[in-house]
Amino acid sequence: MAFTPYDWQQTLRQKADYVEDRLREGSPIVGLSCHEGILLVTVRRAHQQKIFEIYDRLAFAGLGNQSDLETIRQLAVDFAHAEGFARSPQDVSIQRVVGVALSPAMKRSFSDPLRLPLVVRGLFAQLGDTPDSDLFYLLNYDGEFSLTYRFGVAAGTERAREMMERVLVEFTKKVPKRDAALEKALEAWAVGRHEASSALEWRAVLSEALKTGMVEAAFLERVSRRERRFRFLSDQELKPFLPR
Amino acid sequence: MSYGDFAKLLEAYGMPDSVWDIRPRQLAAGEDRTHGQCANGVWAHGTTVIAVKFDKGVLNVADRRATAGNAIFYEEAEKILKLDDETLIAIAGSYAAAFEAVRFLQHSFKYYARSQLQELSLEGKLSEVSRVLSRSLPGALQGIGGFLPIVSAFDREKHEGRIFFYDVMGARFESREFGAAGSGAERIRGAFEYIVRTKGPFHTMTLEAALRETLLLLEIAASLDTATGGIHHHLPLAKTVTAEGVADVPEELLRSLQKTLLKE
Repeated sequence: MAFTPYDWQQTLRQKADYVEDRLREGSPIVGLSCHEGILLVTVRRAHQQKIFEIYDRLAFAGLGNQSDLETIRQLAVDFAHAEGFARSPQDVSIQRVVGVALSPAMKRSFSDPLRLPLVVRGLFAQLGDTPDSDLFYLLNYDGEFSLTYRFGVAAGTERAREMMERVLVEFTKKVPKRDAALEKALEAWAVGRHEASSALEWRAVLSEALKTGMVEAAFLERVSRRERRFRFLSDQELKPFLPR
Repeated sequence: MSYGDFAKLLEAYGMPDSVWDIRPRQLAAGEDRTHGQCANGVWAHGTTVIAVKFDKGVLNVADRRATAGNAIFYEEAEKILKLDDETLIAIAGSYAAAFEAVRFLQHSFKYYARSQLQELSLEGKLSEVSRVLSRSLPGALQGIGGFLPIVSAFDREKHEGRIFFYDVMGARFESREFGAAGSGAERIRGAFEYIVRTKGPFHTMTLEAALRETLLLLEIAASLDTATGGIHHHLPLAKTVTAEGVADVPEELLRSLQKTLLKE
């Protein structure tokens, strides 16, 4: 049987529908620049890590299938370390990791009718010397990516993403301190989650989500004596910002 | 799939270990590159690096001179390097091989932690150093790529600083109190024993006391070994590894001790 251009288009559409269906319920990701560094925040089910260290100044967070997140994460870590050693750590940039290493491979995989699509939407963050040079890349399951400054969000639906962006656009016109940024990130998360929740107000959405899940927040520290600037915020650091 | 093995990753990326390893090569007739060889077949070029314990962890001190044959090549060499936030390496020997090995190890530890989502154990790190050394053996045997490291780490399980030294083939030994490498180190070995027996073990000393002893040892090494820089013209490099991780010894402390020792 011949495989016509119509079939090909149909396959892509079905693949996209398949992925979008599975992403819809995913827990949003918020990335936010602050004076002290970059925050990445989400709410996860108990044992499924969603935020990862990629390289010295790079982090990744995503929603979707855990196995697909792993695929993307490992590709990114492998590429970053091989390049960082062959050239120098300064030559490993988010642009190269996302634009060169990941995006074309994901595009090829998505357009191959015989392959299962990756169910993943990822947010990459690169820490700069100042908040103005922090970068966020949103990478979609079909390999498309876009760059944003000051903040980046990834959500299950387009609508949720827009609503989250609305919360953050005004707020990020001035660079916030870390505490304020963390609070706002949780609000943005809850606003993005709102569609999938029965609660009306953002704090209630967050409370409801925390009955079965937990806040995962990672921090890329701008000024640090440590080689590795990525770390998770401890329960103690998070506690003051969570609903009782 | 590399399972966190950085050497395998480089291979998969078309960068086999020849990138960081000096491969064996047939020497031309009459060619001899063994001028850096020291006594007892240990390959140690001109330098003195010292690691001693103190009450909070391990202190590393090194002179800053790099030599090429009889010439002083550089007076600001850094021979104590951070492998990660909790591990120091002090190197003596071929700079090219040592620096490539250190770069490899730094990436290797980070790669393991990030790809496997768990930290590499101290034992794992020490084995990786052995592996790198055994791979650089062909270079060492030709007299062009040998180096000897001293690794200092803070053991979180035992809650104490630990010092490890290696032979050129990668065999690892743990030292109770001190370790030293380089051409100057051989000449001051007995002095370490003398200090331990007369002033007590290094691990009971404060940082300042341990630093004073090691700077003096470095100065003695410099007076016996032309390839060791000493403390006269250039401030030696001094770093510590403690429960808080790796840190530089404050410059003011180094300067004040340098001043006192030079007066004595």
